[in-house]
Amino acid sequence: MVSFAAGLLNATVQAATVLLLAGLGELISERAGVLNLGVEGMMLVGALGGFVVTAVTGNYWLGFGVGIACGMALAAVHAFLCISLKSNQVISGVMLTLLGTGLTTFFGSGWVQESITGFPQMTFPIVGRYLVHLPLVGEAFFRSTATDYLALLAVPVVWFFLYRSNLGLEIIAVGEDPEMADTMGVPVFKFRYLAVIIGGGFAGAAGAHLSLAFSQLWVPGMTVGRGWIAVALVVFAQWRPSRMLVGAYLFGLLDALQLRSQSLSLALDPNAPLAGVLNPLVNTLMNPQIMSTYPYLTTIAVLSYAVIRTESVRLAVPSALLQSYNREMD
Amino acid sequence: MNVELQLDPRRTVPAWLAYGTPVLTVLAALAVGGVALVALNVDPVDAYGVMFVETLTSQFGLTEVLVRAVPLILAGLAVYLPLKAGLFNIGAEGQLLLGALAGTWVAVNVSLPAVALLPLMFLAACVAGAFWAGIPAWLRAKWDVNEIITSLLLTFVAQELQSYLLRGPMQGGTGNFPQSARFSDAATLPPLAGLVPGGESIPLFADVHAGLLVAVAAVVATYVVMTKTRLGFEVTFVGSNDEAARQAGMSRHTVYLFVFLLGGAFAALGGIAEIAGSQGRFRAAFAPGYGFTAIPIALLGRNSAVKVTLAGLFFAVLFVGGSSVEVAFGVPAALVEIIQALVILFLITSEFFKRYRVGIAFDRRGNDAPADATGGDARW
Repeated sequence: MVSFAAGLLNATVQAATVLLLAGLGELISERAGVLNLGVEGMMLVGALGGFVVTAVTGNYWLGFGVGIACGMALAAVHAFLCISLKSNQVISGVMLTLLGTGLTTFFGSGWVQESITGFPQMTFPIVGRYLVHLPLVGEAFFRSTATDYLALLAVPVVWFFLYRSNLGLEIIAVGEDPEMADTMGVPVFKFRYLAVIIGGGFAGAAGAHLSLAFSQLWVPGMTVGRGWIAVALVVFAQWRPSRMLVGAYLFGLLDALQLRSQSLSLALDPNAPLAGVLNPLVNTLMNPQIMSTYPYLTTIAVLSYAVIRTESVRLAVPSALLQSYNREMD
Repeated sequence: MNVELQLDPRRTVPAWLAYGTPVLTVLAALAVGGVALVALNVDPVDAYGVMFVETLTSQFGLTEVLVRAVPLILAGLAVYLPLKAGLFNIGAEGQLLLGALAGTWVAVNVSLPAVALLPLMFLAACVAGAFWAGIPAWLRAKWDVNEIITSLLLTFVAQELQSYLLRGPMQGGTGNFPQSARFSDAATLPPLAGLVPGGESIPLFADVHAGLLVAVAAVVATYVVMTKTRLGFEVTFVGSNDEAARQAGMSRHTVYLFVFLLGGAFAALGGIAEIAGSQGRFRAAFAPGYGFTAIPIALLGRNSAVKVTLAGLFFAVLFVGGSSVEVAFGVPAALVEIIQALVILFLITSEFFKRYRVGIAFDRRGNDAPADATGGDARW
């Protein structure tokens, strides 16, 4: 049982990293008032870009950097359409996902059989040598890939950036009330561009982590909906980086459980009362496909609950989310 | 030297721009898609020749286009209707899948003669699709929960449900493929030839199934409702000016529920028609993103149900031609996805030019002149 739990925790950390990186990026973008439904597309572009560069140069750090840059480049398209051309953010985001999926499937088809040496497992620098021997959590948290550590580190960094730096607070202001921010001298358009492109960089990093550390190969459409979960996660986390950490690990746990649910048996003794009803029910609820619906259903529930009970739960949805900013005095 | 864009909001859209936009959009998307082809050393002229000319001049190609157009048009309507009321239904894929699942369940588990079984299948599909669309609509109408996120998330729930059912309770046939049992003859949509007077003499109708009639009926119904009834007028009114509609005593709730329920039912019809008409059994990957393609279809045809039909036919040609190009040149069929994305991209770019007249001003003095009050944001 302990080895099962330790293995599960290990898988949770790996699954959570992807969601954490992509989710933090989307959070920054939405905090500036721009919804980006293109996370899935940006992740795929980052995954393929990072993979190709690593395969050619053999340098996975270079690949990781290129993956980030690819995500940023695609996000810049979204920024241009939504901020400068004031296009509808939903449509533009869907377009971005289609474009990213299409482009990577089209140009990535030749790279499917390639193999690379991606990020190796390493013990956490300095303290990891001792902490890795901790029961249960040691292996999961202190022997991982560098990208796993980076994702965890990103949480306090993003938190500090958003709430403690001038730039971050101005980005939040731009997402809450762009007119007011503009009046105060904050360059609304510039900061929205910045937030969207940083968000794209995070999505690209999530994709590159997927192809360089998580699976170390390229398969078209390899994100399998994780980008959409990241979008859902921002709602779940109510636009706060700390809750993003909780959410990513919760959703990561579901992801890991789902892969291992077959080896987990929760059946009652068939002679126990209600076993005839409960066992099929538990079986269905523990089915891997049914378990995959939980993140989506949970998010819908959280979103509805938060909207319905606004007086008791402060939902931090940026007030200007989905609104393009017009500087005209008409 | 500073270059500054001057933007003037347009009051009216010139006719050439209004009518030229869809055509120019498609041409521009094809042109950029050609660049992707060149990158893979394929002559775009040859590829597009195969994609369009061969598809539209062969009996097989035209049949395939009409068959593919059925789910595309129906799903397109599912996005188009809420769009008219100012809402986004980006969950047409989920509504299509859930409808197809319900219809398949009836087809596999109920034994009745075709006259009763087919209507029952389609009814079950409609109810399931409308229910799935009704959740985001109700949450939006009642509590103002964003329908974009909820309808999208429900699509992924539907995909997992489909996967669960086809591997478990609804798995049928030999092998362990995620698919349902094969439909009986009574549950299969007949070809058009026998249903339309003189249909046998029309060569195309031998292989096109009766789902086409369903799609045509849905388009006609949508057209009539939107242009001839009070409810259709209210949908447009709420969509163009929510507040004024409220002042005029119109119920937002009714309108929101109406467009989503009807749209969800249409998407579901598309799903079950595709299965009962051309697939013969529910296979896990029978709908390659029809519900997502519905978004560019509804955008291209946002003005009327007839234009949605044209856009649906265009994307059907793209899908059919895309697979021919894949076979002929070994180019991944994802080219279709790229062109789809480019159509949306150029479409939203052109929206900008419909809203603003753009001029370029050169400031040769090179200093930062104060921004013009009507175009100050244009530097970004």
